[in-house]
Amino acid sequence: MNELACISGVELLMDYLEGALPANVHAALDEHVAGCARCAAFVASYRATPRILREATAVTLPAELERSLQAFLRARTTAFKSS
Amino acid sequence: MSMVVPTAQPSDEALAARAAAGDDSAFEAIVGRYQARVYRLACRLTNDTDAPDVLQETFLQVYRHLSSFRGESQFGTWLYRIATNAALMHRRASSRRPVESLEAFLPRFDDQGKHAATPAELQVASCADERLDRRLLAEKARDGIARLPDLYREAFVLRDLEEMSTADVAHALGVELATVRQRVHRARLMLRGYLSALVGVKP
Repeated sequence: MNELACISGVELLMDYLEGALPANVHAALDEHVAGCARCAAFVASYRATPRILREATAVTLPAELERSLQAFLRARTTAFKSS
Repeated sequence: MSMVVPTAQPSDEALAARAAAGDDSAFEAIVGRYQARVYRLACRLTNDTDAPDVLQETFLQVYRHLSSFRGESQFGTWLYRIATNAALMHRRASSRRPVESLEAFLPRFDDQGKHAATPAELQVASCADERLDRRLLAEKARDGIARLPDLYREAFVLRDLEEMSTADVAHALGVELATVRQRVHRARLMLRGYLSALVGVKP
């Protein structure tokens, strides 16, 4: 069933990678990707996208902000309890 | 030779119950456990400037609503829901200039529904982190995520950047599994094309 078009495969890609497709549709997509260099390349870059963006946007909490958060919460929770 | 016997850490749920009963040290332990993750989430959902406000607002809301936590979801999922809402409220409240949509970065197909780009062009987004300077990529990544529609951004950030399960994202956002998958999928398609364009290749 390699008559599946690339555009249909792309629409199903998230469900495919999550294992949410019916077995016969999943198998048809497997077959298409195995025989389509464009889709194989597309799937690789689609899968890489979350990792690249996750690594690029990783930040650590600055120590100064941690201290100001503690001070803020201490003041507000005390006020909340006495209200 | 002395031995240190490891003591089991209390669960989030146990700490939440103690904090709800007025134990401030339990609340401080919750803050300590989650503050770095909430800050990272806030940066991803808003920006470096607004994230400190979102961080404060999140834990203040958590404190105020501890007694309403019923354990229907994991505590972390419940807390992420509060943080996501705080970020969304903040984005709505702050005046932002309109951003250019990422629609132009969706994949292109020919009349037969075949990819219009070549395999090499389609592959290139995979190497964006090797081709681009780290600092530039970090800046462009934040810009790209900020250009997503709000609903797509929330789902994508929680699912793909915070690596929550699709089921937990559905719970945190109060939507169906299929809706999460559809939003994350659209976000991935746009951002994949955006990464290609950063490297100088059509999506």
